[in-house]
Amino acid sequence: MEQKTLIEVRDLTVGFPSEKDGIHTVVDHINFDIHEGEIVGIVGESGSGKSMTALSIMGLLNKDAVIMDGSVKLRGTDILKLNHEERRKIQGDDLSMVFQEPMTSLNPVMRIGDQVGEVLKLHTKLSDDEIDLKVAEALTSVGLKKPEELMKSFPHQLSGGMRQRVMIAMAIINQPDLIICDEPTTALDVTVQAQILALLRKIQREKGCSILFISHDLNVIKEICQKVIVMYHGTIVEQGTVEKVMYHPEHDYTRKLVASMPEQLTEDIPKDPLIHVKDLNIYYRTAGKIFTSKKDRMVYVKDLSFDIYKGEIFGLVGESGCGKTTVAKALTGLNTDIEGTMDLGGTMPQMVFQDPFSSLNPAMKIGKILEEPLKLAGVTDKAERRKKVNEMLLDIGLDESFAKRYARELSGGQRQRIAIGLALMRGEKFIIADEPVSALDVTVQSQILKLLIKLHKEKGLTILLISHDLNIVRHMCSRVVVMYLGRIVEMADVNELYENPMHPYTRMLFESVLTDKKKTDTDKITVNEVRPLKRDQEMCAFYGRCRYAQDKCQEKALELRNIGTEENPHLLRCCLRIGKDE
Amino acid sequence: MRKYIIRRLLISVVILFFVAFVIYALMRCLPTSYVEAMARQKSMQPNSKSYEEWMEQLSAMYNMDGSIIQGFFQWLGQILRGDFGDSWKWTVPVIEKFNDTVWLSFIMGVISFALEIIIAIPLGIIAATKQYSVTDYIISIIALAGISLPTFFFASLLKLVFSVRLGWFDLYGLVGKKYLQLSPFGQFMDKAYHLVLPITVLVVISMGSLMRYTRTNMLEVLSADYIRTARAKGLSEHKVVYYHAFRNTLIPIVTIIGESLPGLFGGALITETLFAIPGIGFASYQSMVSGDIPFSMFYMLFLAILTLLGNLLADVLYAVVDPRVRVA
Repeated sequence: MEQKTLIEVRDLTVGFPSEKDGIHTVVDHINFDIHEGEIVGIVGESGSGKSMTALSIMGLLNKDAVIMDGSVKLRGTDILKLNHEERRKIQGDDLSMVFQEPMTSLNPVMRIGDQVGEVLKLHTKLSDDEIDLKVAEALTSVGLKKPEELMKSFPHQLSGGMRQRVMIAMAIINQPDLIICDEPTTALDVTVQAQILALLRKIQREKGCSILFISHDLNVIKEICQKVIVMYHGTIVEQGTVEKVMYHPEHDYTRKLVASMPEQLTEDIPKDPLIHVKDLNIYYRTAGKIFTSKKDRMVYVKDLSFDIYKGEIFGLVGESGCGKTTVAKALTGLNTDIEGTMDLGGTMPQMVFQDPFSSLNPAMKIGKILEEPLKLAGVTDKAERRKKVNEMLLDIGLDESFAKRYARELSGGQRQRIAIGLALMRGEKFIIADEPVSALDVTVQSQILKLLIKLHKEKGLTILLISHDLNIVRHMCSRVVVMYLGRIVEMADVNELYENPMHPYTRMLFESVLTDKKKTDTDKITVNEVRPLKRDQEMCAFYGRCRYAQDKCQEKALELRNIGTEENPHLLRCCLRIGKDE
Repeated sequence: MRKYIIRRLLISVVILFFVAFVIYALMRCLPTSYVEAMARQKSMQPNSKSYEEWMEQLSAMYNMDGSIIQGFFQWLGQILRGDFGDSWKWTVPVIEKFNDTVWLSFIMGVISFALEIIIAIPLGIIAATKQYSVTDYIISIIALAGISLPTFFFASLLKLVFSVRLGWFDLYGLVGKKYLQLSPFGQFMDKAYHLVLPITVLVVISMGSLMRYTRTNMLEVLSADYIRTARAKGLSEHKVVYYHAFRNTLIPIVTIIGESLPGLFGGALITETLFAIPGIGFASYQSMVSGDIPFSMFYMLFLAILTLLGNLLADVLYAVVDPRVRVA
């Protein structure tokens, strides 16, 4: 089928002038086309120039950035040559954009209806009432309920997923020819990500517009795009259909990208519990008021029971807000308001945090940061501390010169290595890694995961791996526990859980995950956005979102029960056994 | 919201109690005691009682014979009965002296505050939208000069240039020589004319920080994600800045505006003194120097109440401009 070309990018070159070395080029002579009704993906690491490309097309480049060469033709007209006024007529009318951060991309002091309708006010001659109708229509078409009410709301009253839907409604309302989506799902939970992707495909099918989809996540690109462009250091290293590029990559870098998941661990671990948690409740206190001494104590995590065996990598998964990090905080002693049994087996758990960019003190040299735990442990000999730091730097794949550097001189991957080294400095045998790679690029992710596996093998390290990325958990962990709203809903060996998920929530998580195995039909996923806010209620916490919900689920939440064998337990908190009772 | 305001007011009462105590204690600890000065003066008169005798008599008269705590509660008791007492220095009721002086200062305060906002906020926004341009540098230099100039120096400079050299204005005073012969409108214009220089001083000195604050906030808002979203819609730069960015910039600025409430009534001590304007600033200075406890206490407590109300006002305004605060 011959398709008309919508966007034609030729020799596009973008750079930042800098005083030191002339111009720093971030996009270097790239060429590609977008046809009408096509979804084109751009994949690459941060700094590869993919966002710069999108912003150049959209005309939203930072003032410091300069377009040095090339053309971007929209149906034959070079839009880079247009003046500011002509450019504005295209923005929001022919081209629109969905950004990465739904939490900050909406104006906090304007009502949703005004923000979405503004595009129409600007580019059409519709009356206010007509605009309101159109806005309500657009909000409905992106799957939001009660549009009239929503239009009067402010952004902070909406969840991240809802805000991203609003952003999409804003992008489609004026029937643009091209929607540029810059990492639209990166900041969202997996289940929400799947819904947003499904929504984008539906919109593309119905409205016939083209989409330029930017992501660092190969699975997302595979899921939604027909064509893919691989960018590396400002150049396009490979482009073609998704089948060709993803399954038969030609360029070395693409191969590295595609194969960046470490090998799965298969090992037999003796069942020797190191960490023993039984019936643990974790509370949060809301601040008391000055004249009233009443403090609200809220149970945040309830009835938590699990063992972590010596030398295993234990996975903990769930959406944001389910209590994953709260568990980690309780185990490390950062949250002390707990009830129940927590036997740490004599270990002092150390933590590796999510964001390596903000979790290292910028004013301290790396060597000093690494020495600190030793000082605390009472190692007073300076030379000995230095020696240990140097050994650790080698262990984590760096070298001694790093001790003299500051955190800002390091890349994200290097910083995360330091964070891991810091956790191991006192020779602890148990560490908690809280989303250790989610802030990192794909290829760096695999290096960090490989490092964790290496340390796990060499030092017999026990790791509690907290992650929302089910692919990573599958590859790294031997046993997995799934949490939902502060409770364990399912727990089993990794293979058992992934092949035979029983809880409706676990199933929903897996259906949302984009694997390279098959293209799931995400259109089927229908989820209620309603979540119960109270955690201490008696009924099943998942009731509001459950596809199989029955009346009896409202009465009482069940205890965890073993539906596996004595040898390989499979714990489940649900009255159904989907697949058998269905 | 109402609950919140009530709670804040209740807390304010507690704070006021302690503020009053601290001020009273400080007044009593000052080296200049009104009673001592008076006793010394009276004992110097011929055929008079001795200094000690006068001290005893006057201390009892002015409630200064007990301890600080006793004195404080006696004063507090009077206040609670609605009796603010007479000023020792001026020997008129405190309220009367206050009423005589505060309105002039208030008018000066309001005018200079309004001018400050009218000048500083737009200039701050212009500086931010044209960051690192010549305009930005000029505005920044003006702001910095305003912040750095000491009031007495700047006031003297203006007097030198406009009064002494050019002869446009009188050196000091609120009214001119022919004031009594003028018509009511003429009298009003005469006063306004005499307030030009003092108000200029107040505006220039105070607008610098607001200007810089606006600029910083605007810059921060302009680099926010939602401004990029607004630009992506194809909105004009004017609309982006004055519609999308401006309200967000206001959020932190209202705190400053709330905090300047006491400044409106508080008077400008240095400026009023230099230009011999009979406002509350000048009066408070005189009362403190002479150890006039009733008037100083009243004035400072008044400022404390205004400060507390100003902070409350800022928080309420915060909720008005920022919908995120409204829920909580």
